[in-house]
Amino acid sequence: MSFLHMTYDRLDSIQSKNGKSMSNAWPHPRRGRGNRHKDQDRANREQAVEQKVKDPVPHGICMTMCPANELRQREAQNRLHKSEMVPGTERDRLPRADVLRAVKEYSRPAAGKDSTRPSDLRPSSVLLKTVCYLVDDIAASKTFQPWTEVYSFVFDRLRSVRQDMIIQRLSGPECVTMLEKSVRFLLYASYRLCGQPLQYFDPRINDTHLQETLSWLLECYREGKHQHQEEFQALSLLYNLGSFHAMQHALQLPGRIRHSPAVQLALAASRAHTESNPVRFLRLAQRLDFMQVCALHRHLLSCRRDLLLLYSHGYNSNNCRYPLQRLSRLLFLKDPLAAELCQVHGVNISREWVIFSKKSFTESPSGDLQCRDMHEPLDDEKWNCNSDDIIHRCA
Amino acid sequence: MAHITLNQYLQQVVEAIENRDGLFCAEMLSFKHPHVANPRLQLSSPEEKCQQLLEPPYDEMMAAHLRCTFAVANHDFVEAYKCQTVVVQYPLLLSFMKAFQAHKEENWALPIMFAVTLDLRIFANNAEQQLQVKGKGKVGDIRACIDDSKKWGMLFLINQLFKIYFKINKLHLCKPLIRAIDSSNLKDDYSVAQRVTYKYYVGRKAMFDSDFKPAEEYLSFSFTHCHRSCQRNKRLILIYLLPVKMLLGHMPSNQLLRKYDLMQFADVTKAVSEGNLLLLNEALVKHETFFIRCGIFLILEKLKIITYRNLFKKVYYLLKTHQLPLDAFLVALKMMKVEDVDIDEVQCILANLIYMGHIKGYISHQHQKLVVSKQNPFPPLSSVS
Repeated sequence: MSFLHMTYDRLDSIQSKNGKSMSNAWPHPRRGRGNRHKDQDRANREQAVEQKVKDPVPHGICMTMCPANELRQREAQNRLHKSEMVPGTERDRLPRADVLRAVKEYSRPAAGKDSTRPSDLRPSSVLLKTVCYLVDDIAASKTFQPWTEVYSFVFDRLRSVRQDMIIQRLSGPECVTMLEKSVRFLLYASYRLCGQPLQYFDPRINDTHLQETLSWLLECYREGKHQHQEEFQALSLLYNLGSFHAMQHALQLPGRIRHSPAVQLALAASRAHTESNPVRFLRLAQRLDFMQVCALHRHLLSCRRDLLLLYSHGYNSNNCRYPLQRLSRLLFLKDPLAAELCQVHGVNISREWVIFSKKSFTESPSGDLQCRDMHEPLDDEKWNCNSDDIIHRCA
Repeated sequence: MAHITLNQYLQQVVEAIENRDGLFCAEMLSFKHPHVANPRLQLSSPEEKCQQLLEPPYDEMMAAHLRCTFAVANHDFVEAYKCQTVVVQYPLLLSFMKAFQAHKEENWALPIMFAVTLDLRIFANNAEQQLQVKGKGKVGDIRACIDDSKKWGMLFLINQLFKIYFKINKLHLCKPLIRAIDSSNLKDDYSVAQRVTYKYYVGRKAMFDSDFKPAEEYLSFSFTHCHRSCQRNKRLILIYLLPVKMLLGHMPSNQLLRKYDLMQFADVTKAVSEGNLLLLNEALVKHETFFIRCGIFLILEKLKIITYRNLFKKVYYLLKTHQLPLDAFLVALKMMKVEDVDIDEVQCILANLIYMGHIKGYISHQHQKLVVSKQNPFPPLSSVS
């Protein structure tokens, strides 16, 4: 998790004055605070004071979603997002910043930049409020459109939240809630923005952040009890379908989690996939809820293609035909769409019959058939509706 | 030996260094040697004494070693680990590079390096238990010490790293190490023991990457070359070699399983060769904990496909015809209590077996039949894949 180690080279605010790296003090938990008893001898006390000075973990004191410094700066530079402006001033030459709605931007760590000033860091209560605002209010809002823009705003601000979390090395239930909400948002975005032009949505970048956030979350689950653990373990399995690592992780979960219905279903789907049984796999996929479909959907097209590949070999005979209608039912696609999928993979169709042949099957599609085209009409309704209940339904 | 004074001990070290006696020197630094239990050597600050008797950089190395014995005696493995990282730096960074630049072909200090890195890994493990130290730290420290110019030490170090990488589950880190050995002109000349260890890990990695053919080669090498007195190691190798062999169609005998106390595999073997899916599922559930802990549960699940093949082959032998009704396969699967299976899924499983080359033939949907080749419809497993 490179994300977690981003702050390795950073210097402590106090220590940086004498230019000493804190990397040595890194792995130690905070020590020497509290328990200062009367009978403690002087040497001990000195040591405690010294360790307090050495304490490399900065603690934020910024009580707004955006530090005052940044707010003034971005206001002056006219770099406010629409949703961060005081309503009514959007069309002014220099729109005013809304202290209650502006959110700290992500800024790349760079040499000579001190990202550990307590006044620029938000404590976990403020961070949690920020995440709730971003995911529940902004991402689910109907007024801010188009959603691609909402995405780029929320994506960036969530990233800065995670950065604050890393710098302060936060952990605990609030941290888990923030990560869970971020994962839901990123999963939903991967579905909703699937097929968008690259300048609006880059699936690769989204995937990198999603994987990092997800593995961080799963790491947090290792300690303590967590209400939504089953849900996210299942999502992780579905999102990383076919990954040996993800399945091995799921197998090692405590029985209570592993035998929960959500994880069992996700495991069954993974199994069907590794056994190359796309018929069973696609059937199991129908039992998933919306968030799970978001997680799984990037694998659906290739699974459907696998089914055509297997059938092209299994039914490879000139005299044989297979009813198109039945194939569409197995693929869980409407007839025209199933026919199109066949055609782009070189599978011949003659009226309502499919003629499989291993020679004519082509792995790489010849036409322009996108994953987007296979989204269920039902999901498209959800696409238009309020994403509100979808993202923070269970939070 | 156990109760010599500090002076006597250091004198022996001085002599060993002067004589370039690597093996003895290594003993003097190893925690397998009884001197570490000698309370007269367990000192918290032996620096001064060491400086008096030893030349730099050996004085610092020995001082760190003695501090380490002190820490171990106090069961402080975090401190022991820290001291040992200091020790490890010397044979590698200082004496190896500087002192040997004039004598490039000398490698008498290799045994020292083996001894101290081995101890370092053990301390790191213990320290981790004491203080959840991240694996990253310990890996980085050792890796910084790899010295390309002393290639004889490479395989040993790499094996130590493998052990760590497997323990912290970061297998992707193995790749550059494997590449380094593959391109090494010495790769077949290392000691058998080191090669056995190396191939064991590379074989396991290949297995996890689903490269079963190379996995079989590596693990077989390990198994046949592992010293016969190392029954425990042979058993460890078998835990991974067996699933790979089975996937390639070779079933182990009960005798072998009994010899190595691996009867957990007995039912799996039986189930696969009989095509008994029900028994296979039961056996996997029964020994689930063992298989998951070894990391082979998912590999064993892959045996299902072969089990399907063996089951369907039985159907073929029973019906004695080349046009097999699909219903017959459905009945067979239902008998094996495969959950909500229907004729579509039967066709999918058959299509997959045909695609993989386990069955020669085709499915006719109109006639609801599997038509199999008249010659060799179920080719032997070793010829497939």
